[in-house]
Amino acid sequence: MSPALRRYIIVRVLLTIPMVLILVSLVFIVLRVLPGDPAVAILREGASEEQLASFRAALGLDKPLHVQYVEFLTGVLRFDFGYSMTRKVPVTREIKTFFPATVELALASMFVTAVVGIFSGAFAAQHRKSPADYAIRILSIILYSLPIFWLGLMLQMTFGTGLGWLPVSNRLSPGMAPKEVITGLYTIDAILTGDWALFKDAASHLVLPALTLGLVLAGIFTRLTRANMLDVLEQDFITAGRARGLRERVLVYKHGLRNAFIPIVTLLGLQFALLLAGAILTETTFSWPGMGRLVVDRIYDRDFTTVQGAILFFALLVAGISLVVDILYGFLDPRIRY
Amino acid sequence: MAETHSSPTSEVENIGLLGRFWRGRIWYGTEWYITTFGGLILLAIILMTVFAPWLAPFDPNQFIGAQFTPPGHGKQALLARAGEAPPVDLSDLSGQVIGVQRNRNGANLARELGAKGKRYQTQEDLLAALLDGEVDLIFVDQELAPEIVASYDGLEIVAEGLGRSYPLGTDNLGRDIVSRLIWGARTVLGVALTSALFSSIIGITLGLISGFVSGFLDRVLSLMMDSIYSFPGLLLAIAMVVMLGPGLLNVAVAVSVIYIPTFFRVVRGQVLSVKEELYVEAARSLGAKPLTILTRYIFPNVIPSVVVVFSLNVADAILTEAGLSFVGLGLPPDVPDWGYDLSKGQSFLVAGQWWLITFPGIMITLVAAGFSLLGEGLSEILNPRLVKG
Amino acid sequence: MMTNDVLYRIRDLVVEYHTRAGILTAVDHVSFDIRRGEVLGLVGESGCGKSTLGKALMRMIQEPGRIASGELWFDGMNLMQLPPGEMRKLRGSRISMIFQDPMTSLNPVQRVVDHITETIRVHQPQTSEKAARARAAELVDRLGISRNRLDDYPHQLSGGMRQRVMISLALALRADLVIADEATTSLDVIVEAQFLDLLKELREEFNLTILLITHNIGIVAELADRVAVMYAGRMAELAEVHELFERPDHPYTRGLLRAVPNIRLDDAELYKMPGSPPDLVSPPPGCRFHPRCPDVMDICTRQAPTFYENKPGHFVNCWLYQEREENVSLEEASS
Ligand SMILES: Nc1ncnc2c1ncn2[C@@H]1O[C@H](COP(=O)(O)OP(=O)(O)O)[C@@H](O)[C@H]1O
Ligand SMILES: [Mg+2]
Repeated sequence: MSPALRRYIIVRVLLTIPMVLILVSLVFIVLRVLPGDPAVAILREGASEEQLASFRAALGLDKPLHVQYVEFLTGVLRFDFGYSMTRKVPVTREIKTFFPATVELALASMFVTAVVGIFSGAFAAQHRKSPADYAIRILSIILYSLPIFWLGLMLQMTFGTGLGWLPVSNRLSPGMAPKEVITGLYTIDAILTGDWALFKDAASHLVLPALTLGLVLAGIFTRLTRANMLDVLEQDFITAGRARGLRERVLVYKHGLRNAFIPIVTLLGLQFALLLAGAILTETTFSWPGMGRLVVDRIYDRDFTTVQGAILFFALLVAGISLVVDILYGFLDPRIRY
Repeated sequence: MAETHSSPTSEVENIGLLGRFWRGRIWYGTEWYITTFGGLILLAIILMTVFAPWLAPFDPNQFIGAQFTPPGHGKQALLARAGEAPPVDLSDLSGQVIGVQRNRNGANLARELGAKGKRYQTQEDLLAALLDGEVDLIFVDQELAPEIVASYDGLEIVAEGLGRSYPLGTDNLGRDIVSRLIWGARTVLGVALTSALFSSIIGITLGLISGFVSGFLDRVLSLMMDSIYSFPGLLLAIAMVVMLGPGLLNVAVAVSVIYIPTFFRVVRGQVLSVKEELYVEAARSLGAKPLTILTRYIFPNVIPSVVVVFSLNVADAILTEAGLSFVGLGLPPDVPDWGYDLSKGQSFLVAGQWWLITFPGIMITLVAAGFSLLGEGLSEILNPRLVKG
Repeated sequence: MMTNDVLYRIRDLVVEYHTRAGILTAVDHVSFDIRRGEVLGLVGESGCGKSTLGKALMRMIQEPGRIASGELWFDGMNLMQLPPGEMRKLRGSRISMIFQDPMTSLNPVQRVVDHITETIRVHQPQTSEKAARARAAELVDRLGISRNRLDDYPHQLSGGMRQRVMISLALALRADLVIADEATTSLDVIVEAQFLDLLKELREEFNLTILLITHNIGIVAELADRVAVMYAGRMAELAEVHELFERPDHPYTRGLLRAVPNIRLDDAELYKMPGSPPDLVSPPPGCRFHPRCPDVMDICTRQAPTFYENKPGHFVNCWLYQEREENVSLEEASS
């Protein structure tokens, strides 16, 4: 690793600290400072004064705000989100159970997004202003305008209940279970343990949710790729390559894409928030037991600590992801500055 | 940008917004038609919201028909024993005993016509009652009548096309879907536009200040905005709605927070670049006050980008609002809302009642796509740049 | 070395760009020959269509532009009739190009050596990667870049070195014709001098024909055998370098030469041509230079003159030297 790259990474890591602080404060403000009493929000109107008071005392909501804030921060730093109010287990344990499902869904969707988005975007850029370009652009706008859950329901209706090709809910069929949980991603675990029946089952459950989320995001990604490719294809080295007799295909997919890839990776990082937001809806639609599901379900259960913990976890997650993406960027681009 | 930007393209920029738009037809070709198409979709929807009370056939909350009437269905046929059909006067059925099936549109119709009737649980019971002479006439769904007459001897169709039909069917409570779509447009557009308005006001203000003042404040604000931007918007909105409680205004506020950073970023970026441009330097050296520079020189330049971002954000806000409703955190149940209809309708999909969710979904997509198309097209048209040399 | 054998014959070439403001004729009925083994300088103000002409010679005009008409005869081949695939094979192998900015003309995420081997192997697919690498090493050696820079990325090289890499790419397949488009503009004076020396050496060694596009008359004087002057998309004048510098016929050429800092003129004030080049979407009628011409006549505003061989080997596009009737086209004159 070059000294420049190392310096860049250190700077980037340091920049993550204020970001985490801001995100955590944001969550604190929403959950504790905004008008709206968590006790009332969770226990609903009509709860007795004693109920409210004991709820507040249990969570420390009766203390002054600055004290709450300090406790809140130290809790996050120690990665201690308290106990679930309905399950009597630490919230971190809950997160550990539900998070792998989200990771599996996110990775699979990202794969769909990247494959569909990059190729259709590059193709559209290569054939700029052709009917194919317009078709791809309109389609991508429509894809992105689809409510994720609606697309999910439509796919369920067609390929699930309609044609009966694919399961429409959960991660595995009833009765199936991984022999051994290694990563928590069932498809990966199945490969690692060589359990092909499990793999087939897990993969077939993954197809529709991943397609749903992946396709919607591919709408955005196609447009980003196209725009970046157009920028790159206008650059001198493409003309110079053409003057050396390189094929158009090579110019677009090797030289162009490799260069467009650097901004695309950054944008992919920025889209991560969208991916997670989409995952919440996808998980709800497909009864996929991930983090989004956890949040939504526990809102119904009025499990304030779990909801709070899960949201905080999301905050840490996005900070972490943006760090990883930036570091990746540093490795991808040989012209690393800073 | 038109007034303050001086460039060789001034001829192009001085023909006014509408003229420029119309001229765009030639410059942008296909893209122009796409944009206009998006605009026309929106125009249609906006007209729909304005004229909702006149356009909607029914009250969106009224249980007007039978549950789960499929699209286009609802009309009834009147059957009688062959050859025994009593003289039927449709305006006065009070003399007849009419059989209907429970929870079908015929039951509603009979009630509305003021007929004396008997209700039966199943279609078989109903037909048996007619054949046994228990009733003189029965209402059956128009679509079923020919089949029934063909398979049961001794029945004939007395009258057809009675009552009303529901072009897009009815929902699980027998509400008219067309009416709900039309009234729902009001809700959806209202929430999305309100939230985009909130976020644009806050985002633009902060962006102007941040870009103009620079320094420490700028850095802090930027970092804050970047953090909000990197957080999954829907989750933030969910958390806020949980805390604030449901309701139109609360949803609008929750959704608006998500989009403040996009306005902020665009405006701040614009301010930074405009600030560097010569004429601002010149104005400053002539001793113009910061506020004058801000309002006279910088603000007009950020408007085009703001318009574009606004349009794109409305599209996004519509989807977020629908998402909130879908997870059950949206608006109160008495407000007609596409997202709500979708979330309620999904459980009936398995039973084959596809029309409950199909149409609201199409509407959401249509409106969101309309705003996106418009935003994308506007960005080309409001920022004219000739092909560079 | 220099023969009268014509390598590239260009006839009535028209290149248009379809812009939103209208059709821009960047190259308007241009005809001339490039002789085998010569260095032909092409000069003119920025925006007069030099680069467009250079690209058109490789049939590399991209949207929104196109070659509207004209004939391109390269080494006896009619390039306008050549299928695109064949044309592509010609690029880089028989005609190659050196661009203005070597920094942006090299792929920033591709190693230097990969640029060269890729070029060799696209034209000679049977060459192994290893053989191509060996040839690349030999080539950069010859051009004065040490072999251990081969695995560098473009941004790690100096400007001069990058331009040498660009030359090595142009010479990788021993092209007959090298089009150098403002190849020295981005270099500083000392590097530029070295670069020109190198080009002179290579010219002998590789038996090159060079179309040297530049707006720097000094470079032309140093390197070119003949000079073509372009104005607003048209050829103004073409002659042997000494002939042109000593007896420029076209008023534009005269103005251009007077605008060059000249040591002999010491403190004489530098001439500044009045007016500015025309808008190529709607150029002035008649001779395009007439609004700026000190010798403008009545006919100049109405009718365009022809590019015509006024003296042996000296072509000029001006009413001062031709009667309306006795237009002789280049076609007849050069046969
Ligand atoms: N891609 C393009 N699209 C539109 N016009 C162009 C394009 N490239 C060049 N032109 C126009 O063609 C004319 C000639 O340009 P160019 O060949 O680059 O001139 P030069 O190399 O002599 O500076 C200029 O007026 C320029 O504006
Ligand atoms: Mg040029």
